[in-house]
Amino acid sequence: MLELRISHRLNDFTLNVDVQCRYQATAIFGPSGAGKTTLMNMIAGLVRPDEGQIVIDDEVLFSSDAGIDLPPERRRIGYVFQDDLLFPHLSVEENLRFGLARTPLAQRRFEVDLVVELLEISSLLGRRPQYLSGGERQRVALGRALLASPRLLLMDEPLASLDQGLKSRIIPYLRHIRSDLGIPILYVSHSVAEILELTGQVIILDRGRAVAHGDFFRIAHEAEVLPLIEAQGFENVLPVEVVSSDAGAGVTHVRYGEQALKIPYCDRPAGSRLFAGIRADDIILARERVEGLSVRNTLEGRVLEISDVESKELVYVDVGHRLAAKVTHEAVAALGLQVGDRIYCLIKTHSIRIGPEME
Amino acid sequence: MIVPTEDWQVIGLSLRVAFFCVLCSLPPGVFLGWLLARREFPGKILLDGLCHLPLVLPPVVTGYLLLVLCGRRGVFGGFLESIGLQLAFDWKGAVVASAVVGFPLMLRSVRLGIEGVDPRLERVARTLGCGPMRTFFTVTLRLAAPGVLAGALLAFARSLGEFGATIIFVSNIEGQTRTIPLAIYTFLNQPDGDSAALRLVVVSVVVSLVALAGSEWASRRARRR
Repeated sequence: MLELRISHRLNDFTLNVDVQCRYQATAIFGPSGAGKTTLMNMIAGLVRPDEGQIVIDDEVLFSSDAGIDLPPERRRIGYVFQDDLLFPHLSVEENLRFGLARTPLAQRRFEVDLVVELLEISSLLGRRPQYLSGGERQRVALGRALLASPRLLLMDEPLASLDQGLKSRIIPYLRHIRSDLGIPILYVSHSVAEILELTGQVIILDRGRAVAHGDFFRIAHEAEVLPLIEAQGFENVLPVEVVSSDAGAGVTHVRYGEQALKIPYCDRPAGSRLFAGIRADDIILARERVEGLSVRNTLEGRVLEISDVESKELVYVDVGHRLAAKVTHEAVAALGLQVGDRIYCLIKTHSIRIGPEME
Repeated sequence: MIVPTEDWQVIGLSLRVAFFCVLCSLPPGVFLGWLLARREFPGKILLDGLCHLPLVLPPVVTGYLLLVLCGRRGVFGGFLESIGLQLAFDWKGAVVASAVVGFPLMLRSVRLGIEGVDPRLERVARTLGCGPMRTFFTVTLRLAAPGVLAGALLAFARSLGEFGATIIFVSNIEGQTRTIPLAIYTFLNQPDGDSAALRLVVVSVVVSLVALAGSEWASRRARRR
């Protein structure tokens, strides 16, 4: 468990955070300038907070009261930055072994071979970082951090410099680390879709303050949280299973719980499970089943909750899972929506983004 | 071309002075280069200016200041004598003179080298378990190596060419402080010294070229590794 109680002033910016993370993976979400990176640097020991306390598994890393401030090299906290920051004068293998060599035998948790295999980087070992692609570099950086056997892995927008295709190929590795290696992850991102592929536990940071903390779907509609999420484009992330694909028609049929969905054609075998993203803005609500529209998807459900934030309504519909749709006040009034009502969610096939595969 | 023994003596002395000049100015050069590149502190501009002073002062003035400070009757003369270090009229004095004159060149190059190293790499090294000193040697200095090498070469070359500060501070004594430039100057002041001066001029060019080639080779290796 990670306990953070930090207060720090820098010019006219104040960081005030008091949270506890108990989960395998926790994401820190917030707009730029919210203090996410500063917070990470403090946990890693690279920035000294003015006041407060940082405790991990009952070991005090920092305490202004007790006068404790462990240097970064004694905290055993792995840090993966937005840029991979591989050592340019070392080969991939030497980079990987850099932290390992400085980890006492008793604390070592992984073999080089295991990490190399997990991240699929065995063919890169002899190369120099400058000859690797972006995705390869980030995987090596991840491996290097892992081999130092950290008890917590900090990741500061590790995928931000990668394009969408590469991102979706790295995320499964992160899930491996979280689930199979059992290393807790603290993951900074400003992309909701990216976070939800890794964890539902989030800390929402805004202007130096943790405005909310907990299960994403529980806190997403809170007054202080929703505008922040909306600024990034609110996205529903649905786990789906491929049923069949039709390249000619340009659609892939997937199963989402009991419901069937058509998503843009993707070349994945039947039975593969993947995430599909739908922005809350892209969902149309209808009282009745509508015919004669080009919209290919109609999901039937019941209204779970209607939350009212800054003249917009977020309607949560139970379609097997929770689905958030953003509509205006006027629309809610005109349809006379009430919690418990039967409702149809219309979703264009092409408003569905295909995310990465689940393991 | 035949090089007579007295020339070998001059060449040997010059190389020894230049070698020790680099050796003595490298540790403070690296330390101050790091300090100026990585740290903010009050008086930084003053320190920076002080370190660069020999670059803009006429070497003769530097030599005179050295005499005033470290000469036998200078401010620190008594102290230096008490620890058994005699600089005046001694090759060690020539080392000091050329080290002081060459120091700004060394410092600038080292500083640029260190400034070129992404400080975030040092932070990564720390999170991977490296202490500050180890990080400095395995990451910072290692990546700044081409700059440090270039600085060492500049100091070496500057030392080989040092004339003004040396002749004022430690005079022109055969076998002790008469380095190549001073020997050339001496020969040129003799009625039949032209050919001897020319010999040393050629030697000087050759030594400089070898040093240049050596540093080029070393910096390429440093970049590759």
